[in-house]
Amino acid sequence: MLSKLALSGIKSRLKDYLVLFSGLIVAAATFYMFMALATNQDFLGKNSMIGAANTSIVFIFGAILLAIITLVYLVYANSFLLNMRQRDYGMFMMLGAKTSKIAQLIFMETFVLGTVATLVGSLIGTGLAQIVAQLLVQQLGLKLQHFNAFYLPAFLITIAFFIVLFILAAIWNSRKLIKAPVLKLLHSADQPARMAVKTGRLAVQAILGVILLAVGYWAMAAIKQLQLLAIPVALVTIVLGSYFTFNATFIWIIQFLKKNKNFALKGLRNFTLSQLSFRIHDYTRMLAMISILFALALGAITVGLGFRNDMSAVTSASTPYDLKLYTTNQAIDQQVAKLNTTSKTAYSFKKVGKKYYYNIAEFEKTPMYYMHYSGSTGEITLPTLQRYQAKDYQNVKQDSPAFDSAYRELRVDDNYEDLPNYAFVDQTKFDQVTAPTKQVVLIRVKDFGKDRQRIGKIESLQAQALPAYKEILSNSKYASAMMATALYSGMIFMGFFLGISFLAMLASCLMFKILSGAYSDVRRYDMLNKMGTRSQVLRRSVAKEIGILYALPGALGVIHVLFGLQLFKILMVNPYHGIWLPFLIFIVLYGLYYWITVLLYRGIVIPKVEIDK
Amino acid sequence: MTENVVAVQHLVKTYGKGNEKKFTALKDVNFTVQNGEFVGIMGASGSGKTTLLNILSTLDKPTSGNVLINNQDITQLKNNQMADFRGREIGFIFQDFNLLENLTAAENIALPLSLQNVAPKEIQPKVAAIAKRLSIENVLDHYPTELSGGQKQRVAAARALVHQPAILFGDEPTGALDSNSARELLETMDSLNREDQVSILLVTHDPFSASYCQRILFIKDGEIGQELRRGDRNRADFYQEILDNLGTFAE
Repeated sequence: MLSKLALSGIKSRLKDYLVLFSGLIVAAATFYMFMALATNQDFLGKNSMIGAANTSIVFIFGAILLAIITLVYLVYANSFLLNMRQRDYGMFMMLGAKTSKIAQLIFMETFVLGTVATLVGSLIGTGLAQIVAQLLVQQLGLKLQHFNAFYLPAFLITIAFFIVLFILAAIWNSRKLIKAPVLKLLHSADQPARMAVKTGRLAVQAILGVILLAVGYWAMAAIKQLQLLAIPVALVTIVLGSYFTFNATFIWIIQFLKKNKNFALKGLRNFTLSQLSFRIHDYTRMLAMISILFALALGAITVGLGFRNDMSAVTSASTPYDLKLYTTNQAIDQQVAKLNTTSKTAYSFKKVGKKYYYNIAEFEKTPMYYMHYSGSTGEITLPTLQRYQAKDYQNVKQDSPAFDSAYRELRVDDNYEDLPNYAFVDQTKFDQVTAPTKQVVLIRVKDFGKDRQRIGKIESLQAQALPAYKEILSNSKYASAMMATALYSGMIFMGFFLGISFLAMLASCLMFKILSGAYSDVRRYDMLNKMGTRSQVLRRSVAKEIGILYALPGALGVIHVLFGLQLFKILMVNPYHGIWLPFLIFIVLYGLYYWITVLLYRGIVIPKVEIDK
Repeated sequence: MTENVVAVQHLVKTYGKGNEKKFTALKDVNFTVQNGEFVGIMGASGSGKTTLLNILSTLDKPTSGNVLINNQDITQLKNNQMADFRGREIGFIFQDFNLLENLTAAENIALPLSLQNVAPKEIQPKVAAIAKRLSIENVLDHYPTELSGGQKQRVAAARALVHQPAILFGDEPTGALDSNSARELLETMDSLNREDQVSILLVTHDPFSASYCQRILFIKDGEIGQELRRGDRNRADFYQEILDNLGTFAE
């Protein structure tokens, strides 16, 4: 009979259960996806620049963080479930159900819900991992080795982890409900705590918070001096700093706004402010945590995309020329014609024995491009593209930089052990050298990334036509781009993956934290409705209240990231390059979560216009 | 000339759509409340009291019939107009106070004015005035959880009256109060009615509360059955008549 009652309870609240269930599925799917990466040693080893051992540490750290978030998430999801069900359970008890029976019921409900959600979530996670991997490979042109969407150890870990958590949650739920008196379950309206605000303490906290944040930000910028110590220092100070700043500034701002009667006494503002301050103690810890997670997630995506920028930067630094033609035939010409060429120059040479002869006149006519390295040390800097001038080739010695670089770009010799043996001669001398004239055509294109595939094709056509040049071709820009892709792909993929998993988790956390408070708000919104508040005003109030709860940690998180990127100056050329893209992706996703939360919340609290019995 | 503040004509409310089982909560209800009158509506649970009050207060729409409040037909209003009408013309006090527990008493009272976009400068004097009228000046800075039941209901009454509505609806306002607080509240309502000419419609099943009214309408199974007038009698006599009447009316 009781299980029938429980089932009917689920039926009548199908929508809420669907929310809860899908939330749990997202959690399990995210966790699985992450574990599929973190536990795959082969994948980590083959795809990371910083070695398998270091990567493992990063991922173990990530896994622990994710486990903690999952735990917090489940606590919130669980309290959502409890809030939803406690009236029903209270009623069962009032009808005379034994507490042990109710405990059993709650245990079963929580456990079954959790287990099913975990299984479904892991399966969806497998599918998602496959889709995400494919998307990334296609969109970013990445190469992944040893990546399996279905990875048994990850599957087992996910299921074990979640089942343990759900057993704990189930025990917690059943104990909590049994201990509570029946009447309290029936009327579980929250009692607000009067805010005892001491301005002095608030000010101290605010100052302390800012100082701690400053120390943390400084530590990240000073990673060269502090070495590895920078990370733990930054972590501790920023976590504490976020908390204090939130606690103090949040309360202070609300107080300030409430005191400003001209602001507060308009429309529902006072109500919205009170709603916020009503939950303040509950939320500051949560918001501080979310801001840190937000920073980690956004940071991961930014760094991931940063590596992609780096990849093209490193590639383009290798040589100014995108394609070198050593031979030609109809197929090659056809492909070359389709390139978006910006410059195309042919240089001739003659080979006598081991010695190469070049014609200075050609270089004077069209001087070569070269990569100029400025001499600074420490930070990674990119060389700049420059071009020699005609005078650089006049009256200079044979081993001048201009000639060296010309030889390097034009060499067709794959014997790298011998010293370079070349001579740059004027037109008359060049004509006197008795050997067949050969040519190398140097091509620059507008966008290497766009033409990359065609260039690859041309290279393989050349290799077919000229098998002896295979070794030379393997030093081309295309080849080094392929190597860089292989090198960076894993890092980019990991960054993206980490970022998206963290985001999914933290936003779900926030969502359930907010939704679990919704049930105690139903009465308040009903009251406002009875007092004659337009329903669009109520809707706006919901959107504002939740908007602030989303925006605050987001804003602080963004600041964390902007400073945190300093850490990556030792790994990357310019971590801030193209930063808008990851920020945009992230904010769109985060905004989506916000919107869903608002819709669900409104569904719970906004009263209907017409009463239907 | 006395005008009607409420006029209900041929009001019918049927629940249940389409194939669902139909249930008629109100069958052809007709009555009026004059300006400045204190009218009670009595009836047992399920008699249609709550449905009637919901329709009068634009929380629900009738199936047919007209309801005029302050000469405006509220059955013709659209959603936003319904909400605005509620905010402007109606004051509400409930059995369970329905104060917003995250706002102080003063903030609760100010809310209807804020919702009507009254300038913040004008709000505070109005709140102070109504608080003085209801003797709750001392508790304005308290949160509802820090107040006694009687104080809470006074705050609720202040909130219901601060915007000077056309009529005050009371839905069992003494239901959750002890007898002393209940008596005090009823006396306050009585004096508001006499001295400030506030029209009051009180829905109750408690004969003692009803005895403060000038006129009582008895509702049973969705119809107004009987009407009692207090006239010049004192309250105790009227109370006795209500009790007698309940005995016969119930049968």
